[in-house]
Amino acid sequence: MKGHLDALILAVLESGPLHGYAIIERLKERSGGALALPEGTVYPALHRLEATGYLSSSWSDGGRRRRVYRLTRGGRRELITRRSEWKAFTTAIEAVLA
Amino acid sequence: MSYLDDLRRELSAAGICGALQRRIVAELADHLDSDPGAELGSPATLAGQFADELGSARTRRAAFASFGALAVAGALFAVALTTAGSGFPHRHAHSGLLGTLGATMAVLGAQIALACGTLAAIRALRRRGAAAMPRAEAVIVVRRTAIGLAAGLTAMAGLALLAIEYNQGQSASSTTLALVAAAVGAVALIAAVPAAVSAGRLTPASAGLPGDVFDDLGGMAPSALRGHPWWLAIVLAAAIAVLVTVAGVLQSDPYDGALRGAADAIACLGCFTVLGRYLGLRAARI
Repeated sequence: MKGHLDALILAVLESGPLHGYAIIERLKERSGGALALPEGTVYPALHRLEATGYLSSSWSDGGRRRRVYRLTRGGRRELITRRSEWKAFTTAIEAVLA
Repeated sequence: MSYLDDLRRELSAAGICGALQRRIVAELADHLDSDPGAELGSPATLAGQFADELGSARTRRAAFASFGALAVAGALFAVALTTAGSGFPHRHAHSGLLGTLGATMAVLGAQIALACGTLAAIRALRRRGAAAMPRAEAVIVVRRTAIGLAAGLTAMAGLALLAIEYNQGQSASSTTLALVAAAVGAVALIAAVPAAVSAGRLTPASAGLPGDVFDDLGGMAPSALRGHPWWLAIVLAAAIAVLVTVAGVLQSDPYDGALRGAADAIACLGCFTVLGRYLGLRAARI
Protein backbone atom coordinates (compact mmCIF):
# COMPACT_ATOMS: atom_id res chain seq x y z
CA MET A 1 0.00 0.00 0.00
CA LYS A 2 2.76 2.43 0.99
CA GLY A 3 4.54 1.84 -2.30
CA HIS A 4 1.47 3.02 -4.18
CA LEU A 5 0.54 5.96 -1.97
CA ASP A 6 2.20 8.53 -4.25
CA ALA A 7 0.29 7.33 -7.30
CA LEU A 8 -2.99 7.30 -5.35
CA ILE A 9 -2.48 10.87 -4.13
CA LEU A 10 -1.55 12.09 -7.62
CA ALA A 11 -4.63 10.34 -9.07
CA VAL A 12 -6.96 11.89 -6.49
CA LEU A 13 -5.60 15.36 -7.24
CA GLU A 14 -5.97 14.92 -10.99
CA SER A 15 -9.55 16.17 -10.87
CA GLY A 16 -8.66 19.36 -8.99
CA PRO A 17 -7.01 20.94 -5.93
CA LEU A 18 -7.84 19.51 -2.49
CA HIS A 19 -6.70 19.99 1.11
CA GLY A 20 -5.17 17.17 3.16
CA TYR A 21 -8.33 15.99 4.90
CA ALA A 22 -10.30 16.03 1.64
CA ILE A 23 -7.57 14.00 -0.10
CA ILE A 24 -7.85 11.28 2.56
CA GLU A 25 -11.65 11.31 2.36
CA ARG A 26 -11.52 11.10 -1.43
CA LEU A 27 -9.11 8.14 -1.23
CA LYS A 28 -11.54 6.33 1.07
CA GLU A 29 -14.53 7.17 -1.12
CA ARG A 30 -12.93 6.10 -4.39
CA SER A 31 -11.71 2.82 -2.94
CA GLY A 32 -15.14 2.11 -1.43
CA GLY A 33 -13.47 2.13 1.99
CA ALA A 34 -11.17 -0.73 1.00
CA LEU A 35 -7.98 1.27 1.45
CA ALA A 36 -7.47 1.45 5.20
CA LEU A 37 -4.97 4.28 5.06
CA PRO A 38 -3.11 5.36 8.21
CA GLU A 39 -4.16 9.02 7.95
CA GLY A 40 -0.94 10.41 9.39
CA THR A 41 1.13 8.90 6.56
CA VAL A 42 -0.57 11.06 3.93
CA TYR A 43 0.80 14.40 5.19
CA PRO A 44 4.53 13.52 5.01
CA ALA A 45 3.86 12.09 1.54
CA LEU A 46 2.15 15.34 0.46
CA HIS A 47 5.11 17.38 1.67
CA ARG A 48 7.58 15.06 -0.04
CA LEU A 49 5.65 15.14 -3.32
CA GLU A 50 5.66 18.92 -3.13
CA ALA A 51 9.42 18.99 -2.41
CA THR A 52 9.94 16.70 -5.40
CA GLY A 53 7.98 19.10 -7.61
CA TYR A 54 4.96 16.90 -8.33
CA LEU A 55 2.59 19.05 -6.24
CA SER A 56 2.29 22.71 -5.37
CA SER A 57 0.35 24.11 -2.45
CA SER A 58 -0.98 27.33 -0.99
CA TRP A 59 -3.22 28.45 1.86
CA SER A 60 -6.87 28.73 0.82
CA ASP A 61 -8.37 32.21 0.62
CA GLY A 62 -11.32 33.09 2.81
CA GLY A 63 -13.18 30.95 5.31
CA ARG A 64 -11.18 28.27 7.08
CA ARG A 65 -7.41 28.48 6.53
CA ARG A 66 -6.39 25.25 4.84
CA ARG A 67 -3.39 24.09 2.83
CA VAL A 68 -4.61 23.21 -0.64
CA TYR A 69 -2.58 20.91 -2.91
CA ARG A 70 -2.65 20.77 -6.69
CA LEU A 71 -0.86 18.74 -9.37
CA THR A 72 1.99 20.39 -11.24
CA ARG A 73 2.85 19.58 -14.84
CA GLY A 74 5.61 17.27 -13.53
CA GLY A 75 3.03 15.60 -11.29
CA ARG A 76 0.75 14.90 -14.26
CA ARG A 77 3.65 13.35 -16.16
CA GLU A 78 4.55 11.25 -13.13
CA LEU A 79 0.94 10.08 -12.83
CA ILE A 80 0.97 8.93 -16.45
CA THR A 81 4.19 7.00 -15.80
CA ARG A 82 2.83 5.42 -12.61
CA ARG A 83 -0.38 4.40 -14.37
CA SER A 84 1.46 2.68 -17.18
CA GLU A 85 3.77 0.92 -14.68
CA TRP A 86 0.74 -0.25 -12.71
CA LYS A 87 -0.99 -1.52 -15.88
CA ALA A 88 2.14 -3.46 -16.89
CA PHE A 89 2.39 -4.90 -13.37
CA THR A 90 -1.26 -5.97 -13.11
CA THR A 91 -1.22 -7.41 -16.66
CA ALA A 92 1.78 -9.55 -15.71
CA ILE A 93 0.15 -10.71 -12.46
CA GLU A 94 -3.15 -11.48 -14.20
CA ALA A 95 -1.29 -13.48 -16.85
CA VAL A 96 0.24 -15.63 -14.12
CA LEU A 97 -2.92 -15.99 -12.04
CA ALA A 98 -5.29 -16.69 -14.92
CA MET B 1 -0.22 18.26 26.83
CA SER B 2 -2.27 18.03 23.64
CA TYR B 3 -1.43 15.91 20.60
CA LEU B 4 -0.35 19.02 18.72
CA ASP B 5 1.97 20.14 21.54
CA ASP B 6 3.58 16.70 21.52
CA LEU B 7 3.88 16.86 17.75
CA ARG B 8 5.57 20.28 17.95
CA ARG B 9 8.11 18.91 20.41
CA GLU B 10 8.79 15.80 18.33
CA LEU B 11 9.15 17.83 15.14
CA SER B 12 11.72 20.06 16.85
CA ALA B 13 13.58 16.98 18.05
CA ALA B 14 13.60 15.66 14.46
CA GLY B 15 15.10 18.93 13.19
CA ILE B 16 11.90 20.41 11.75
CA CYS B 17 11.50 23.95 13.08
CA GLY B 18 10.25 27.39 12.10
CA ALA B 19 7.80 27.96 9.26
CA LEU B 20 7.78 24.32 8.17
CA GLN B 21 6.88 23.15 11.68
CA ARG B 22 4.10 25.76 11.93
CA ARG B 23 2.71 24.66 8.59
CA ILE B 24 2.71 20.96 9.51
CA VAL B 25 1.02 21.64 12.86
CA ALA B 26 -1.58 23.90 11.18
CA GLU B 27 -2.42 21.22 8.62
CA LEU B 28 -2.81 18.53 11.26
CA ALA B 29 -4.82 20.88 13.49
CA ASP B 30 -7.17 21.39 10.56
CA HIS B 31 -7.39 17.62 10.10
CA LEU B 32 -8.24 17.11 13.78
CA ASP B 33 -10.86 19.88 13.60
CA SER B 34 -12.48 18.04 10.70
CA ASP B 35 -12.25 14.65 12.41
CA PRO B 36 -11.42 14.75 16.13
CA GLY B 37 -11.18 10.95 16.22
CA ALA B 38 -8.64 10.72 13.38
CA GLU B 39 -5.86 8.14 13.77
CA LEU B 40 -2.77 10.16 12.92
CA GLY B 41 -0.27 7.90 14.65
CA SER B 42 2.02 8.80 17.53
CA PRO B 43 3.62 12.28 17.35
CA ALA B 44 7.11 10.74 17.45
CA THR B 45 6.36 8.36 14.55
CA LEU B 46 4.74 11.11 12.50
CA ALA B 47 7.62 13.53 13.13
CA GLY B 48 10.11 10.79 12.19
CA GLN B 49 8.21 10.14 8.98
CA PHE B 50 8.28 13.84 8.07
CA ALA B 51 12.04 13.93 8.72
CA ASP B 52 12.63 10.76 6.67
CA GLU B 53 10.56 11.78 3.67
CA LEU B 54 11.40 15.48 3.56
CA GLY B 55 15.07 14.84 4.39
CA SER B 56 15.29 12.33 1.53
CA ALA B 57 13.54 14.64 -0.95
CA ARG B 58 15.81 17.54 0.01
CA THR B 59 18.90 15.35 -0.26
CA ARG B 60 17.97 14.28 -3.78
CA ARG B 61 17.07 17.81 -4.82
CA ALA B 62 20.39 19.14 -3.50
CA ALA B 63 22.32 16.46 -5.39
CA PHE B 64 20.52 17.25 -8.66
CA ALA B 65 20.80 21.03 -8.18
CA SER B 66 24.51 20.77 -7.47
CA PHE B 67 25.05 18.47 -10.46
CA GLY B 68 23.26 20.98 -12.71
CA ALA B 69 25.32 23.85 -11.33
CA LEU B 70 28.54 21.85 -11.73
CA ALA B 71 27.59 21.02 -15.33
CA VAL B 72 27.16 24.74 -16.11
CA ALA B 73 30.41 25.64 -14.32
CA GLY B 74 32.24 22.73 -15.98
CA ALA B 75 31.11 23.77 -19.46
CA LEU B 76 32.26 27.36 -18.85
CA PHE B 77 35.55 26.09 -17.42
CA ALA B 78 36.14 23.95 -20.52
CA VAL B 79 35.28 26.83 -22.88
CA ALA B 80 37.65 29.18 -21.01
CA LEU B 81 40.52 26.68 -21.09
CA THR B 82 39.94 25.83 -24.75
CA THR B 83 39.90 29.52 -25.68
CA ALA B 84 43.17 30.03 -23.81
CA GLY B 85 44.82 27.96 -26.55
CA SER B 86 47.83 25.95 -25.49
CA GLY B 87 47.04 26.50 -21.84
CA PHE B 88 48.02 28.89 -19.11
CA PRO B 89 50.87 26.96 -17.44
CA HIS B 90 52.95 26.99 -20.64
CA ARG B 91 53.44 30.72 -20.31
CA HIS B 92 55.03 32.80 -17.62
CA ALA B 93 53.00 33.84 -14.61
CA HIS B 94 53.42 37.16 -12.84
CA SER B 95 54.18 35.14 -9.75
CA GLY B 96 55.35 31.55 -9.99
CA LEU B 97 53.72 30.69 -6.67
CA LEU B 98 50.29 32.15 -7.52
CA GLY B 99 50.41 30.62 -10.99
CA THR B 100 51.10 27.17 -9.54
CA LEU B 101 48.43 27.69 -6.88
CA GLY B 102 45.87 28.67 -9.54
CA ALA B 103 46.73 25.65 -11.70
CA THR B 104 46.52 23.29 -8.71
CA MET B 105 43.18 24.74 -7.58
CA ALA B 106 41.75 24.57 -11.10
CA VAL B 107 42.93 21.04 -11.92
CA LEU B 108 42.32 19.35 -8.56
CA GLY B 109 39.12 21.30 -7.84
CA ALA B 110 37.63 20.43 -11.22
CA GLN B 111 38.38 16.72 -10.84
CA ILE B 112 37.07 16.45 -7.27
CA ALA B 113 33.97 18.44 -8.23
CA LEU B 114 33.31 16.18 -11.21
CA ALA B 115 33.72 13.00 -9.16
CA CYS B 116 31.70 14.16 -6.12
CA GLY B 117 28.93 15.86 -8.10
CA THR B 118 28.50 12.87 -10.40
CA LEU B 119 28.53 10.32 -7.56
CA ALA B 120 25.99 12.38 -5.55
CA ALA B 121 23.68 12.64 -8.55
CA ILE B 122 24.03 8.93 -9.42
CA ARG B 123 23.15 7.84 -5.87
CA ALA B 124 20.22 10.28 -5.76
CA LEU B 125 19.02 8.95 -9.10
CA ARG B 126 19.28 5.37 -7.89
CA ARG B 127 17.16 6.23 -4.85
CA ARG B 128 14.76 8.38 -6.84
CA GLY B 129 11.79 6.09 -6.28
CA ALA B 130 12.35 5.58 -2.54
CA ALA B 131 10.08 7.56 -0.22
CA ALA B 132 12.84 7.61 2.40
CA MET B 133 16.57 6.94 2.38
CA PRO B 134 18.46 5.68 5.43
CA ARG B 135 20.12 8.47 7.38
CA ALA B 136 23.61 7.09 6.67
CA GLU B 137 23.02 7.15 2.92
CA ALA B 138 21.53 10.67 2.95
CA VAL B 139 24.53 11.93 4.93
CA ILE B 140 26.87 10.50 2.27
CA VAL B 141 24.94 12.17 -0.56
CA VAL B 142 24.93 15.52 1.26
CA ARG B 143 28.68 15.26 1.90
CA ARG B 144 29.33 14.52 -1.77
CA THR B 145 27.11 17.43 -2.77
CA ALA B 146 28.81 19.86 -0.38
CA ILE B 147 32.35 18.80 -1.33
CA GLY B 148 31.41 18.89 -5.03
CA LEU B 149 30.19 22.47 -4.69
CA ALA B 150 33.21 23.53 -2.61
CA ALA B 151 35.61 21.92 -5.09
CA GLY B 152 33.74 23.55 -7.98
CA LEU B 153 34.09 26.96 -6.36
CA THR B 154 37.79 26.24 -5.78
CA ALA B 155 38.19 25.41 -9.47
CA MET B 156 36.45 28.65 -10.47
CA ALA B 157 38.72 30.63 -8.14
CA GLY B 158 41.70 28.79 -9.63
CA LEU B 159 40.53 29.67 -13.15
CA ALA B 160 40.24 33.35 -12.21
CA LEU B 161 43.70 33.26 -10.63
CA LEU B 162 45.16 31.65 -13.77
CA ALA B 163 43.53 34.28 -15.98
CA ILE B 164 45.02 37.10 -13.89
CA GLU B 165 48.44 35.54 -13.41
CA TYR B 166 48.95 34.58 -17.06
CA ASN B 167 47.26 37.58 -18.70
CA GLN B 168 50.53 38.73 -20.33
CA GLY B 169 50.63 35.73 -22.62
CA GLN B 170 46.91 35.77 -23.42
CA SER B 171 44.76 37.99 -25.59
CA ALA B 172 42.58 40.45 -23.67
CA SER B 173 39.46 38.68 -24.91
CA SER B 174 40.50 35.24 -23.62
CA THR B 175 41.47 36.72 -20.23
CA THR B 176 38.08 38.46 -20.04
CA LEU B 177 36.30 35.28 -21.11
CA ALA B 178 38.09 33.25 -18.42
CA LEU B 179 37.19 35.81 -15.75
CA VAL B 180 33.56 35.97 -16.87
CA ALA B 181 33.38 32.15 -17.03
CA ALA B 182 34.80 31.90 -13.51
CA ALA B 183 32.32 34.49 -12.20
CA VAL B 184 29.27 32.99 -13.91
CA GLY B 185 30.30 29.47 -12.90
CA ALA B 186 30.74 30.60 -9.30
CA VAL B 187 27.29 32.24 -9.34
CA ALA B 188 25.72 29.00 -10.65
CA LEU B 189 27.44 27.02 -7.88
CA ILE B 190 26.47 29.50 -5.18
CA ALA B 191 22.85 29.27 -6.39
CA ALA B 192 22.92 25.56 -5.53
CA VAL B 193 24.27 26.13 -2.01
CA PRO B 194 20.87 26.81 -0.32
CA ALA B 195 19.57 23.42 -1.49
CA ALA B 196 22.64 21.72 0.02
CA VAL B 197 22.31 23.66 3.27
CA SER B 198 18.62 22.79 3.48
CA ALA B 199 19.43 19.09 2.95
CA GLY B 200 22.17 19.23 5.58
CA ARG B 201 19.79 20.70 8.15
CA LEU B 202 17.19 17.97 7.84
CA THR B 203 18.51 14.44 7.53
CA PRO B 204 16.31 11.34 7.66
CA ALA B 205 16.31 9.41 10.92
CA SER B 206 15.77 5.85 9.71
CA ALA B 207 18.44 3.18 10.11
CA GLY B 208 20.21 1.52 7.21
CA LEU B 209 23.57 1.12 5.53
CA PRO B 210 25.23 3.92 3.56
CA GLY B 211 26.43 1.59 0.79
CA ASP B 212 29.67 2.09 -1.12
CA VAL B 213 30.88 2.93 -4.60
CA PHE B 214 29.43 -0.33 -5.97
CA ASP B 215 25.96 0.83 -4.93
CA ASP B 216 26.59 3.91 -7.07
CA LEU B 217 27.94 2.10 -10.10
CA GLY B 218 25.53 -0.85 -10.04
CA GLY B 219 26.00 -2.97 -13.16
CA MET B 220 28.63 -0.56 -14.53
CA ALA B 221 31.25 -1.90 -12.09
CA PRO B 222 33.28 -4.84 -13.43
CA SER B 223 32.15 -7.97 -11.58
CA ALA B 224 35.77 -8.98 -10.80
CA LEU B 225 36.23 -5.81 -8.77
CA ARG B 226 32.99 -6.00 -6.76
CA GLY B 227 33.63 -5.80 -3.05
CA HIS B 228 37.18 -4.50 -3.67
CA PRO B 229 36.97 -0.69 -3.71
CA TRP B 230 40.76 -0.28 -3.43
CA TRP B 231 41.31 -2.35 -6.57
CA LEU B 232 38.66 -0.31 -8.34
CA ALA B 233 40.50 2.89 -7.37
CA ILE B 234 43.83 1.47 -8.58
CA VAL B 235 42.36 0.37 -11.92
CA LEU B 236 40.69 3.78 -12.34
CA ALA B 237 43.94 5.62 -11.51
CA ALA B 238 45.84 3.44 -14.01
CA ALA B 239 43.21 4.12 -16.69
CA ILE B 240 43.50 7.87 -16.06
CA ALA B 241 47.31 7.69 -16.30
CA VAL B 242 47.11 5.82 -19.62
CA LEU B 243 44.47 8.16 -21.08
CA VAL B 244 46.36 11.33 -20.15
CA THR B 245 49.63 9.86 -21.45
CA VAL B 246 47.96 8.91 -24.76
CA ALA B 247 46.55 12.46 -24.98
CA GLY B 248 50.11 13.76 -24.50
CA VAL B 249 51.40 11.46 -27.24
CA LEU B 250 48.68 12.69 -29.60
CA GLN B 251 49.73 16.27 -28.83
CA SER B 252 53.35 15.34 -29.67
CA ASP B 253 54.40 15.80 -26.04
CA PRO B 254 54.66 12.27 -24.59
CA TYR B 255 56.97 13.26 -21.71
CA ASP B 256 54.58 15.97 -20.49
CA GLY B 257 51.63 13.61 -21.05
CA ALA B 258 53.23 10.84 -18.99
CA LEU B 259 54.11 13.31 -16.24
CA ARG B 260 50.56 14.69 -16.09
CA GLY B 261 49.14 11.17 -16.29
CA ALA B 262 51.21 10.04 -13.32
CA ALA B 263 50.26 13.19 -11.37
CA ASP B 264 46.55 12.63 -12.12
CA ALA B 265 46.76 8.97 -11.08
CA ILE B 266 48.49 9.89 -7.81
CA ALA B 267 45.91 12.61 -7.19
CA CYS B 268 43.09 10.10 -7.82
CA LEU B 269 44.54 7.58 -5.35
CA GLY B 270 45.33 10.33 -2.85
CA CYS B 271 41.74 11.61 -2.92
CA PHE B 272 40.43 8.06 -2.58
CA THR B 273 42.68 7.53 0.45
CA VAL B 274 41.74 10.81 2.14
CA LEU B 275 38.07 11.12 1.17
CA GLY B 276 37.06 7.54 0.33
CA ARG B 277 35.47 6.73 3.68
CA TYR B 278 34.02 10.17 4.22
CA LEU B 279 32.29 10.12 0.84
CA GLY B 280 31.08 6.54 1.13
CA LEU B 281 33.25 5.15 -1.66
CA ARG B 282 34.36 2.38 0.68
CA ALA B 283 32.85 1.34 4.03
CA ALA B 284 31.73 4.76 5.24
CA ARG B 285 32.31 6.37 8.60
CA ILE B 286 29.10 8.24 9.59
